[in-house]
Amino acid sequence: MTTIAEREVALIDLVDRLLGGGVVIAGDITLSVAEVDLVYVQLRALISSVASAEEKGFLPRLGSAV
Amino acid sequence: MIELYALTDHPAPSLPDGASLSTVAHAGLAFVWGPAPTPTELSPELLWRHEELLEKLMEDRDILPVRYGTRLPDEAAAAWALCERHHELALALDRVRGAVELSVRVIGTEREPPPADGMSGTEYLRAREQTSTARASALRTVHEPLSLSARASSERAPRAAGELVRAAYLVDREAVQEFAATVTRLQAAHPRLRLLCTGPWPPYSFSET
Amino acid sequence: MRDKLLHAPPDLDLFATDRPRLDQALTRRVNADPESVERGLAQLVLTIVELLRQLMERQALRRVDGGTLNEDQVERLGHTFMELDKRMAELREEFGLDQDDLNLNLGPLGNLL
Repeated sequence: MTTIAEREVALIDLVDRLLGGGVVIAGDITLSVAEVDLVYVQLRALISSVASAEEKGFLPRLGSAV
Repeated sequence: MIELYALTDHPAPSLPDGASLSTVAHAGLAFVWGPAPTPTELSPELLWRHEELLEKLMEDRDILPVRYGTRLPDEAAAAWALCERHHELALALDRVRGAVELSVRVIGTEREPPPADGMSGTEYLRAREQTSTARASALRTVHEPLSLSARASSERAPRAAGELVRAAYLVDREAVQEFAATVTRLQAAHPRLRLLCTGPWPPYSFSET
Repeated sequence: MRDKLLHAPPDLDLFATDRPRLDQALTRRVNADPESVERGLAQLVLTIVELLRQLMERQALRRVDGGTLNEDQVERLGHTFMELDKRMAELREEFGLDQDDLNLNLGPLGNLL
């Protein structure tokens, strides 16, 4: 029997790989987010989030000491 | 909709029962797929079940795991993807042939307090320097020797508190126990570090085309 | 779940502090498809900023070690980097990016960071 700590630790290593690794085959990635039954992510829809990022002006200002 | 699980050689041993799996094949490669399950909230159980399926496949064949959650409209789309990307997929599968992935994390026990609000600039730099030194040292004493005994290695940004190294190693199946023994030896040689090695995993971190 | 621990120290809890936030992980996945051309103006820019931050921080540490800066300068330098670090974390959070996402694969040259 595995202990809780063992399961947690293994889960961390699993999630690291499962959600970030593996070969990418073009397709819609279907995700399920809490309180929403189904979220179809159309990869082209990312354009809108990127466009709004440009508006936000997200380069941090550096201090004068540098 | 169908969900893709893994890329394998074709022909291959018959699929494990009980998961309504099918294959679609072309020129020596095949995708293992199943009907797309109804979307449910992501949970550890869901992930473990997916993982167990991949590991069952991995028991008697080499696999290239497909990114979790990859869905295509139907089998024809999978066949098309297989033909379209055949060359790079074949290369990717060859790269991991006969090997599995092992994970290693290294934590330092002499932890400097993490950057906190109210920390002075000088304290921050000192903490960063200590972390930087500790990481470089752990890479040299742990990651390097392990990389030498693996087919390939990949390192990620350390994430958790006190974490110095978070790495993945592509290790020949027959060399797994020896690798684990090396980790144990390295642990014994560096009592102020804590090493964790988990696996074998499907080669998630070495699946890029 | 089969036993996956090949080597583990007795104080295993040290490795269990980073509870995977599965809902956050999904947001990251949205940005994670390398096939997507839009894969992130944000990700690209933040990667470059992160590269610069690391280079500058390393240089600053060398100057501090070299003893050419007075206490006040060290303090201001450290404070600036602390603020920059905090800001980077905020930006990563805002775009659902992980520390790992701020990287570029340079093929045979390996990863940028």
